Amino acid sequence: MNAQPVLEVDDLWVHYGTVPAVRKLGLTVGGGEIVGLIGPNGAGKSTTLHAIVGLVPARSGDIRLRGASILGRKPETIARAGISLVPEGRRIFAQLTVEENLRLGLVARTGHNDADRDLGWIEELFPVVREFRARQAGTLSGGQQQQLAIARALVAGPDVLLLDEPSLGLAPTIVDVVFGALTDIRERGVTVLLVEQRAQRTVALADRTYVMTNGEIRMTLTPADADDTERIIAAYMAS
Amino acid sequence: MRRTTWLQELLAPIALVALLAIASSLWVSSADQSKFQTAIVYVAIVAALYVFVGNSGVLSFGQVSFVAVGAFSAGVMTIPAGTKPGVLPTLFPLLRDHSISNVWSLVLAAGLGGVYAFAVGIPLMRLSGIAAGIATLAVLGITYNLLTYWNSIGPGATTLSLIPETTDYWQATVGAISVILVAFGYQRSRFGRQLRAAREDPAAARAAGIDIHRQRLWAFTLSGALSGFTGGLYVHLLGSIQTNQVYLDLTFLTLAMLVVGGISSLLGAVVGAIAISLFTILLGNSEEGIHVFGWGIKAPAGTSLVGVAVVMLVILLLRPAGITGGREFSLPSTFARPRLRSR
Amino acid sequence: MNHVQALIDAIGEGAVFALIAVGIGLVFGVLRLINFAYGQLIMVAAYALAFPGNWPDAASIGLAVLAAVVASLVMERIAFRPLRTADPSTMLVATFAIAYLLQNGALLQYTYRQQGGLGDSIGTLSGLNQAVTIGSLHIRWVTFLAIGAGLVSLGGLALILTRTSIGLQMRAASMDFRTARLLGVKADTVIMAAVAISGVLAAVAAVVLSISSTSVNPTTGFQETIFVLVGVVAGGIDRLVSATLGAFAIGFAIELVGTELPNSGATPFTSNVYMPSVIYLAVIVVLLLRPAGLFARRGQRTVERV
Ligand SMILES: Nc1ncnc2c1ncn2[C@@H]1O[C@H](COP(=O)(O)OP(=O)(O)OP(=O)(O)O)[C@@H](O)[C@H]1O
Ligand SMILES: [Mg+2]
Repeated sequence: MNAQPVLEVDDLWVHYGTVPAVRKLGLTVGGGEIVGLIGPNGAGKSTTLHAIVGLVPARSGDIRLRGASILGRKPETIARAGISLVPEGRRIFAQLTVEENLRLGLVARTGHNDADRDLGWIEELFPVVREFRARQAGTLSGGQQQQLAIARALVAGPDVLLLDEPSLGLAPTIVDVVFGALTDIRERGVTVLLVEQRAQRTVALADRTYVMTNGEIRMTLTPADADDTERIIAAYMAS
Repeated sequence: MRRTTWLQELLAPIALVALLAIASSLWVSSADQSKFQTAIVYVAIVAALYVFVGNSGVLSFGQVSFVAVGAFSAGVMTIPAGTKPGVLPTLFPLLRDHSISNVWSLVLAAGLGGVYAFAVGIPLMRLSGIAAGIATLAVLGITYNLLTYWNSIGPGATTLSLIPETTDYWQATVGAISVILVAFGYQRSRFGRQLRAAREDPAAARAAGIDIHRQRLWAFTLSGALSGFTGGLYVHLLGSIQTNQVYLDLTFLTLAMLVVGGISSLLGAVVGAIAISLFTILLGNSEEGIHVFGWGIKAPAGTSLVGVAVVMLVILLLRPAGITGGREFSLPSTFARPRLRSR
Repeated sequence: MNHVQALIDAIGEGAVFALIAVGIGLVFGVLRLINFAYGQLIMVAAYALAFPGNWPDAASIGLAVLAAVVASLVMERIAFRPLRTADPSTMLVATFAIAYLLQNGALLQYTYRQQGGLGDSIGTLSGLNQAVTIGSLHIRWVTFLAIGAGLVSLGGLALILTRTSIGLQMRAASMDFRTARLLGVKADTVIMAAVAISGVLAAVAAVVLSISSTSVNPTTGFQETIFVLVGVVAGGIDRLVSATLGAFAIGFAIELVGTELPNSGATPFTSNVYMPSVIYLAVIVVLLLRPAGLFARRGQRTVERV
C-alpha cells in the first residue's frame, strides 16, 4: 500500500522563541495511507501539524505536497492546495449553524463540480450533520461537534486530512464512530495523518505509526506491534 | 551576572534628558529654546504615562486627565491673589483668595493627580483590555468637560493666563529626571515587578498570589501623581492654558511617543518622547526655512504636522515594537556569548 | 419642548451613529482593531462631496463613496496589513498617526489653495434640510434620510453577511480568524472586503452629516467617531449587533440629554453643556457592570487576533 508519497516532511525544525519544539523531524505519508503520530503531552505533535498547515513558521527543513514545497505558504493557500486540518478542540463556529459551518468547508474547494456528491457521502458517514443542519453548532454535543469538524474538513475535498486528537474527551461509542469513519475516509481516496493519544488503537488502525517524544521521532510502529503494549510504553519512555 | 546592569538602565534615560537639556541650552537660539523645554516636559509626561501603561500593559487614555488636573490646579493657585478676583471672579472663594508658591503648586498638582487617579482607579482597575481603554477615555472626557464649563474651579471655557512661567531648563530637567527616578524605582520595586509579571501572564501571576487589581491601582495612582506633577511643570512652562491643550491631542501624542519609543521600557518612553519632539521641532523649523549643506529648504506651512505623522508611521512599520524594542539599555558586552543564529 | 419631537430627532441622531458603528465594528471584527482614523475617513468623503461643487447629487455622492473606499483600502494596505501581527497598541497608534496625517493634510490643502477660511460648503441634497410639519412636529427630511439610510445600509449589510460566501467568511473570520484561515478563508480578502464596506458606510455617514452641517472642515466626523467608539464598546464590540445598538443608544442619549437639559447653569450636570459628562459617566457605569458590553451575551469570550 506504500504508494507515491503525498505528504513529505524533511528535517523539520520548529522553534517557539529559542526553544525547539520539533527537531529534525522527517515523515512520509503515501497516497491512500493512514499514518499515525503518537507521543506524550508536549511531544510536539500539534506543532508538527501546525507547521504543515502554515500556522507556525518552520526554522528549517522542507514540507512537500505531491512533491512541491509548501513551506512558508499562508494557511489559506495550503488549505486550498488540498490539506485540511481538524484542529485540536474541534474549533467549530459555535454561533453559526451546522450548515454554515459546512459551507465554510467549501471555501477551500478548488473545483466546485462534485461538491454535492461529496456532501452526500459525508452526510452518510456522519448522519448527525444532516439531522441538525439548521441548529446552532454550539448547541451540539461534544461528539457531534467532532463529527461536524471532520465533516467540515472533508467538504473541502482534501487530498490529505490531518486530525489532531479527534478522540479527545469523547465517549467510547463516539470514539468507535470516529475511528470507523477514518477507514471509510481512506477508501474515498483521502490520505490521513492522525495525531492521537490513544496509542494502541492508533497503532492498530494505521499503516504506520510514528512515536514522537521531545520533539523528535523515536520509533516507527506497525499494526503488528499493536498488541505489544510493552514496546509502545517503552517508546513513550524513550525521552 | 553583572551587578551594574541596573545602573546602566537608569543612567541611559537620564543621560539622554540631560544631554538634550545641555545641548539645546548651549547651541540652540533662544527663540527655539522653549521648544526644547517643551520636549523635556513631554519626556516627563510620557515617563509618567509609562508607569501605568508600560508596567501594566493596559492602554489608558485617561492619564492626561491627571495632567490636566495638575496643570489647572497649579495654574489657578499660582496666579497672584491680588489679580485673581479680577480675572477669575467666579472661582470658589478658597481658590480665589489664596495663592501658593511655585514649588508648593507642583506638590499640590502631584497630590491632586494622585488622589484623583486613586479615586478613579478603585472601580476602573477592575477592567482590562478594550473596556479599560474606553472607560479611561470616558474619564478624560468627563475631566475635560467639567474643566471647560465649571468656572468655580477654573477658568471655564476661557484661557487661564498670568501663570508664573517658572519652568525653565533647570526645573524642566530636574522635574523630568525626578519622574524618571521614581518610575525606575517603582519598576524595580516588588510592586513593579509583580505588575510586570501580571502583564506577561495574568493567570500565572494570580496563581502566584499577586493581587492584580491592587497592583494596577498602585501603578495608576503613582502614574496619576506623576502626571499631575508634569501638568504643573507644563502649565508653568506655557504661562497660559486652555482645556483643549490637555485633552485628546495630548493623549494621542503622548501615547504615540510611548509606543514609538517602545511601550514596555522606561528607555522607550524617554526615547519616544525625545524622537518625536525632535522631529516636530526639525520639521517645524523647516517651515520657516532651514539650510542644510548650503541648500535652503522651505516647506509650506502645515507640512510639518503631516511630516510628523508620516515619521511616526514609518517608525512603527519599521520597528513595530518601538525604537528600543521595549528593552532597557545595556552596554554591549565583549564577553557576551555568541547569539544563536537564526538560519 | 415637545418630547415626541425630541424622540424623533434622537432616533435620527442614533441612526447616524449606528452607521458609523457598523463601519468600525466590521473592521474590528476581522482585525481586532479600533480604528481611531474612521472619523477622518468620513472627513475625506465629505471633502469629496464638496470638491466638485456643482455636480449632480448622484455624481458627487458616487465620488464620495469612491474616495472613502479608496482611502480605506490604502489605509489597510500601508498600515494595517504590515502591522497585523504586531502588538495591538502599535496598530492603534498607527491609526492615530493616520488620523493626524489626514486631518493635517486637510488643513494643508487650504494653504495650497490659498484659501483663508477653513471649511468648504457642501450643497449635496441640501433641500433635505427643509422640515415637514405634522401637527406640532417639525421633522427635517434629513432625519428621515438618516433613519432610512441607516435601515437600508444595515439591511444590505445583513444580506451580505448572511447570504453571500464572502459575508459568511467575514463572520467566521471575526469569530475565529485562525480556524477560518485553516478552512481556506483568505485573510487579505476578507479584511479588504470589511475595510471596503466600512469605507462605503463612512461615505453614507458623510452624506447625512454634511446635509445638516452644509460644510466640511478638517474636524468633520471626529467628535462623532469618538462618541461612537465609546458607544460600540459600551454596547459590546464583539458582535456587530450589540456594537451597533450601543452606538445607537449613545447617539439617541446625546440628542435627548442635549435637548432635555436646560441651556444654562454652570454647576455640573445642571445644564446641557454637561451632556458629555452624563454620557461618559453612564458608559463607565455600564462597563463596570458589564465589561463585555451592555448588549453582549452573557459569558462572552474575547476572541484572539489573527
Ligand atoms: N504557542 C506556543 N508558544 C510557546 N510554546 C509552545 C506553544 N505551543 C506549544 N508550545 C510548546 O511546544 C511543545 C510542544 O507542544 P505541542 O502542542 O506541539 O505538543 P503536543 O504533542 O501536541 O501535546 P498534547 O498531546 O498535549 O497536545 C510543548 O513544550 C509546548 O509547551
Ligand atoms: Mg496537541
